[in-house]
Amino acid sequence: MSQFFTAILIITAGGGLSLIFAKQAKFAKIMGVLCLSLGCLWGLIDAIFKLIYSTHAERSFEFLNVFSLSFKMDGLSAFFLMAVFGVCLFSSLYSFDYMAHEKKPVRVGIHYFFFSILIASMVLVITASNILAFMLSWEAMSLSSFFLVIYNYEASENRKAGYLYFVFSHVGAMFILAAFALMYGHTGNLAFGPMAEVPETLKILIFIFSFIGFGSKAGVFPFHVWLPFAHPAAPSHISAVMSGVMIKTGIYGMIRVYTLLDLHTPLPGMVMIIAGVVSGVLGVVYALGQSDLKRLLAYSSVENIGIILMGLGIGMMGVSSANPAMAILGFTGGFLHILNHSIFKSLLFMGAGMVLHQAGTRSIDALGGLLKKMKITGACVIIGSLAISGLPPFNGFVGEFFIYMGGFKGVAPNSSAFIMAILAIAGLAVIGGLALACFTKVVGVVFQGEPRTRAAEKATEKGGTMLFSMSVMAALCVLMGIFPGLIIQFPLKAVAALGLGFDKALFEPVLSITGNLSFAALIFLLVFFLVGMVRAFFYRKKTITSSGTWGCGFTQPTVKMQYTGSSYASFIMDFFSPVAPLSEEHPAIQGRFPLKTHYKSHIDDIAGLYMNRVVVDPILFFFDKLRWIQHGDIHLYIGYILLAIVLLLFFI
Amino acid sequence: MIESIFLFILAVLMAPFFSGIILKVKAFFGGKKGPPLLIQYYTLLKLMKKGSVYSKSTTYMFKLGPIVSLCSALTVLLFLPIAGHAPVFSFQGDVICVLYLLGLGRFFTIAAAMDTASPFEGMGAAREAYFPIICEAAFFMILILFYRLTGELSLSAYFSGENPFSLWHLAGAPLLFVVFSLFIILLTENSRVPVDDPATHLELTMIHEVMVLDHSGPDFGLIELGSFCKLLFYSTLISRLILPFDVNTPLTFVFYFTGLALVSVSVGVTESVMARYRMDKVPQFVLTSFALAFFATIITLEFI
Repeated sequence: MSQFFTAILIITAGGGLSLIFAKQAKFAKIMGVLCLSLGCLWGLIDAIFKLIYSTHAERSFEFLNVFSLSFKMDGLSAFFLMAVFGVCLFSSLYSFDYMAHEKKPVRVGIHYFFFSILIASMVLVITASNILAFMLSWEAMSLSSFFLVIYNYEASENRKAGYLYFVFSHVGAMFILAAFALMYGHTGNLAFGPMAEVPETLKILIFIFSFIGFGSKAGVFPFHVWLPFAHPAAPSHISAVMSGVMIKTGIYGMIRVYTLLDLHTPLPGMVMIIAGVVSGVLGVVYALGQSDLKRLLAYSSVENIGIILMGLGIGMMGVSSANPAMAILGFTGGFLHILNHSIFKSLLFMGAGMVLHQAGTRSIDALGGLLKKMKITGACVIIGSLAISGLPPFNGFVGEFFIYMGGFKGVAPNSSAFIMAILAIAGLAVIGGLALACFTKVVGVVFQGEPRTRAAEKATEKGGTMLFSMSVMAALCVLMGIFPGLIIQFPLKAVAALGLGFDKALFEPVLSITGNLSFAALIFLLVFFLVGMVRAFFYRKKTITSSGTWGCGFTQPTVKMQYTGSSYASFIMDFFSPVAPLSEEHPAIQGRFPLKTHYKSHIDDIAGLYMNRVVVDPILFFFDKLRWIQHGDIHLYIGYILLAIVLLLFFI
Repeated sequence: MIESIFLFILAVLMAPFFSGIILKVKAFFGGKKGPPLLIQYYTLLKLMKKGSVYSKSTTYMFKLGPIVSLCSALTVLLFLPIAGHAPVFSFQGDVICVLYLLGLGRFFTIAAAMDTASPFEGMGAAREAYFPIICEAAFFMILILFYRLTGELSLSAYFSGENPFSLWHLAGAPLLFVVFSLFIILLTENSRVPVDDPATHLELTMIHEVMVLDHSGPDFGLIELGSFCKLLFYSTLISRLILPFDVNTPLTFVFYFTGLALVSVSVGVTESVMARYRMDKVPQFVLTSFALAFFATIITLEFI
């Protein structure tokens, strides 16, 4: 465990130094990047070793002489630590060039301070083994990421995003605290321990509370409302960390609580699968409807969280219906997708950051043709898009394949989980198709075709560390897709650490699956090579000319005639209009000589709409009535405190 | 293994022939003589001899499109049992791989279309991204049914040897639904009437053909060959289901080819007697295939 704390020490030291030297922006940045990446590398190596050798470690500290803060690292923690340290390592490297053109240098140092706190608190959340340590790190994580979200606080939309995020993370934390309070109330012990005596109904209540609490961090529909606002507001490498790994701490919390509760009803599995299918399908539908690149990626995180929930849900159904093969495949698929998503989503956010840096806009419909001048970024984003659409031979496919296999195990004739399994399989199939549509939109409209604006035309790629981070991520996507056998032991170790009591022999078939998948990938690559040769053969000594695109007889095409992102998506959005209504704004044209007019459209998120109508408005109405309590008189406020303490004395 | 590889090559070679049958049937219904049965071979040869013109807007994705779409179709055929014989490769779950490989081909076809900056190709791409989503869901429903019946998840477990016959034996009535559902999937995935009209002269009304407007020469030849292979893939599935006999003699081939020819003739007849649906009605038509597959699965789950 000392290696782990050394890593945290290096990371926070880097943050502290860059805060102290914030005035010397360059030095602060170098210290920040150096210490953050070094600490992450240290932690990453430690986590991988701990995972491979299945070593457990524990450490506890006394806090204020009353409470103890204890931390523990098992297979599950080590797996998540690997993802967090890995993504943060490359994000901090990426940030070196990304922060190069900051107009207010002081902010760079402050930003590294909060970044280091974010990394440290994420890994502490993952290793916390009692309620107090968990909640303290959880709050530190929420607050530090809040400050990173409002990095550009001058823009009012960023302040609004930050506020929304703040409210959501604290309402979520309240639910988690409620769940923990119920646990504590029954066990009388602050440590996460076995809860065999807790009655089944209470366990279910604890599960539901923690599902809502952690779900609001993870971005499960309908608690995802903050996500599409907060992720675009933060600097791109922070979006990569938030979307790639921070939301996974919510998933970690769900799994941790699930293993503690040791539930035997099928209910948790059902909740996970239904929430997964809904988040998955709606997430990708909203993603498809976005015209802001980073918002699109944020919604796509909702989708991928849905896929992860489906995998874990299939695993839980397998446990409750005593079907070990289904359980192992489902959990392995879910864990694999956690790892995969953290890689390709941070890659895509980094790519979006490059686009934003160079073209100065996140609007998809203002871009186009970037592939010609952004060769490396373009190739990396294309690889990331293929991976996130779950296509072979990239890593996204491997995780989804496991989830499918687990789902199919659930429809076998003697299985009691078949309705949920059918739902998961059909849901995954629809999500796959929609994700393909969504990311062909990203690739096709942003990177291909002709540039739609001057800014897009002039965009080139700069920044060695940005390109390096993206290339490594893209290489990982390909490598893990072709040789999944290399990394399959990591999720398997994490599944083994869940303590489901399955025999080791049951894990064997999983290894043959990865063999088959890399076999299929290699066959595909072989065929690809052969077809390429054939094509080269037929193009020998041929006249190859270039000219304009065939305009079907029209001779004066302009770039404005290209299909835009919103027109590309409109067919599918029409189909989903009941859940994703389109709102348009276009004043009518009046008079003989009409003035300039405009047209605005965006896709509404029904969760956001209903949250306003059903939750926010009544709460505002209610608290408006209580406004008289807030009168501004300090004496009376002190009186309130006294009154509260006196009242509490009666109860305790 | 050798036999399977031989059959695979034979399948690729004969794939263009069945597209010729469709054209002949359509010509017959139109009261015309029509092109020769081997027309598609002549077209391929002609294309391969030509050079290419590339649009100035395009990048390497435009050249990758044809290669990947042909590749995915060829790799898919490697997992398909042809004429009831064992496929070249097979493993548990290969059918999921097959569906996703077809998806990969689609990704690159769409990307190649978007590369040209042509509004027509963008329109085709938007439709191509939409309709197959429903097809995929329908196909997975069929897989659930087959998995429930056989407990296996590979194409060879459903379509090779005696296996299709035992499928009928296990669940005859639901399988009829499956055949119809597969036929609708075939029409959609291969862009035939009533989903798409490959023969129209209006780019606005096309889906697949409009996406490949800018490809020429050998590149276009690769795309054509890929789409013939894809047609053969879906026709084989239906052919093995409607004529599931396996007598272990050369007669098997006769049954197989009769089946393929029957499918091609039905596609031709459908194209001749029907008009293309209005674009907003197409999803309803494609959803029919999902509904059929879904009913078949539910019936099997409840009664068998």
